[in-house]
Amino acid sequence: MSRLPAERQPRGPRRPRLSRRTGLGAAVAVAAIMATVGCAGGDIGGNNPASSGQSFVGHSYESTYYQPASRPVAPPVSGTTVTGQHLSLSQYRGHTIVVNFWGSWCAPCRAEAPALGQLSRQLASRGVRFVGIDIRDQPDSAAAFMQQFNVGYPSINDPNDQIALDFHSTVPPADIPTTLVIDRDGRIADRIFGASTYRQLLSVIDQVTGQTT
Amino acid sequence: MTATEDNVSTPEATAPGRLAGLGPVGWLRWGWRQLTSMRTALILLFLLALASVPGSVLPQQGIDPAAVSQYFQSHPSLAPILNRLSLFNVFSAPWFAAIYLLLFASLAGCVLPRTVRLLGSARQQPPRAPTNLARLPASAGYRTETGPAQALRQAKALLTARRFRISEGDGWVSAEKGYLREVGNLLFHIALLALLFSVGLGGLFGYKANRLLIVGQGFANTPTALDVFRPGRLVGPGNLAPFAINLHGFSAKYVSSGPELDQPMSYDASLTYSDRPGGPVRHYQLQVNHPLVVDGVSVYLIGHGYAPIFKVTDGTGAVRWDGPVPFVPVDQTTLTSEGVIKVPDAKPGQLGFAGVFLPSAIDAGGRLASAFPAALNPRVSLVGFTGNLGMNSGQAQSVYQLETTGLRQLPMQPQPLAAGQSMKLPDGLGTVTYVGYQQWVSLAITYDPGQLPALISGIAALAGLILSFLIRRRRVFVRAAEGADGSTEVWLGGLARSDAAGGFETEFGELAELLRAELSATTTQPFVPERGELATPDASTPAANDETPDTASVSASREGE
Repeated sequence: MSRLPAERQPRGPRRPRLSRRTGLGAAVAVAAIMATVGCAGGDIGGNNPASSGQSFVGHSYESTYYQPASRPVAPPVSGTTVTGQHLSLSQYRGHTIVVNFWGSWCAPCRAEAPALGQLSRQLASRGVRFVGIDIRDQPDSAAAFMQQFNVGYPSINDPNDQIALDFHSTVPPADIPTTLVIDRDGRIADRIFGASTYRQLLSVIDQVTGQTT
Repeated sequence: MTATEDNVSTPEATAPGRLAGLGPVGWLRWGWRQLTSMRTALILLFLLALASVPGSVLPQQGIDPAAVSQYFQSHPSLAPILNRLSLFNVFSAPWFAAIYLLLFASLAGCVLPRTVRLLGSARQQPPRAPTNLARLPASAGYRTETGPAQALRQAKALLTARRFRISEGDGWVSAEKGYLREVGNLLFHIALLALLFSVGLGGLFGYKANRLLIVGQGFANTPTALDVFRPGRLVGPGNLAPFAINLHGFSAKYVSSGPELDQPMSYDASLTYSDRPGGPVRHYQLQVNHPLVVDGVSVYLIGHGYAPIFKVTDGTGAVRWDGPVPFVPVDQTTLTSEGVIKVPDAKPGQLGFAGVFLPSAIDAGGRLASAFPAALNPRVSLVGFTGNLGMNSGQAQSVYQLETTGLRQLPMQPQPLAAGQSMKLPDGLGTVTYVGYQQWVSLAITYDPGQLPALISGIAALAGLILSFLIRRRRVFVRAAEGADGSTEVWLGGLARSDAAGGFETEFGELAELLRAELSATTTQPFVPERGELATPDASTPAANDETPDTASVSASREGE
């Protein structure tokens, strides 16, 4: 503290000044803590991949329906299928298209696969087409999956997430599985996060096509 | 405070009646004052630290959902209660939000009014000069033939030249300097608020993610491609910068002799990236602490490991898996790694393997161990399982762990496989081949829009603090009046506020001397510095004019210090 006696007079009692300083110290401490929390790690040794693996898997069913007036236009999507053919969504123009993002390693995808296979066969006569997007998968494993669950519809192999990225500015998939239902005009009408059951998916498709079975 | 003091001064207001008379506005004011008090801020800060403890003790939904479901299974009665208290989601729990919002309000409520006060203080004009300048901590007196008005004009010119802020009146001039101190203080406070705001900005719009990438593979910055994704509160899947990265190679160098054996020397990941779909493809050498920055998003190299390549043929002769499987290091010095292979679509039965990868296998007393982190002699040892992998039920599981509950271990001799060697599975279940190995890197993707503003505000806060510590506010007053003998008596007084660094006395001494020379005056009361270095015994004797006993005692006490 200053030794000048006159100085203390206009500033009043000392206690509040001290406490104010402590307060600013506290503020700095908070900021420091928060900054530390937000700091990116630099130690290569201690960081392993997430022990849990895919954190985006396993959320429960969540469907979002888009009213006809507010449906985003689906991006043009094409690629090579698991069986090596070229496939483009534009081939299905005029059809209702169910786009399913899946992987053979993904347990919820395996759970919903039989329902999707069954619906694709049942609804073919109603003009509904199914297309799979196989992500983060290995071709042999993907082929085995399709055989196992009798999946009759084609799947585009998307090892580098380019198709997921194509949907970036419209309705990006944010879960595995993600299912998008595209209406006959090529606009995204519904988005489902998580595994769906036969009934759930059928009711969504019914709503989009405006028909009931 | 004023309301309470008013009540005290009125005789009717007794203690119990005062509480009743506070009223809703009074209570609100009281509450606000409590919230913005420093004690509350400190308590909230402590609570914040305390509240984040369960976040590190208990598994968190956003970080490790598999561990959370595991916790639910092992603690069936406790877990639902903890869940209701949001203890598996601490950092987005309402009570956690309550703490940091209150803390924010408390700090803002403290800093904002203070900022306003400082703003006023920085714009303040010097006050009227005191009547008796000799009472001030520093003072000097002169007698001159120059008239009072002229003397004041000259004093003013002198002070103005030294960049003092001036105000004047009848027979006096007040000057003040060091307003930068207030500016520094103001800067500090505003920067502090900006810092808090920046941190909030990062929390709302920033995100963090991790991705394991095997050499030869690529990914795009989209939620489904990320292993761990922790978005800020206002980040949607469409807000991620749409870049894509392909990993072409990775090399790690290690110390191969001496006391630092096995220590890594360098890591180098060679990758190409494009900042948007269809954008130009660029090359980048990713190294530790040299992140790739795309669209403000930083990609750090934070880990690496081996991904042995396997080929699994099932009982029907069909290839069911042919590719690398990332193994996780369990020993960082030798990179001994563990991993699992799941082949859910194998026939006749599902297959699972738990394996150990040894980059530099050696025989350590009958047991196989890895001697070095580089892949000098890679071997894989596998244990096979068949049965139900539990993947078809839809329950999400880790790709790095094998749920062995529904599985039967195959009776196989675990033998280390070298690249190209195969192992035939019993009961006609198929064959597994260890083809070779690939490497993987672990990437941390962080986007924090508050980082740069936080840095800038941090620097500004520091600069403000230094400014406010180094610069002192000091005032100099001059009074001039016609004396009894017709000559002019000039008094110079000065004081420094918060002169912790010292130095005002030297400045005042110089000023006093300059003014004396300017007015060609004779000294009636010399300036006596507090520490007495410049004082002579004669000079300390007060001149016999209007010196009061009071001032004499002040200078005496000063000398005593």
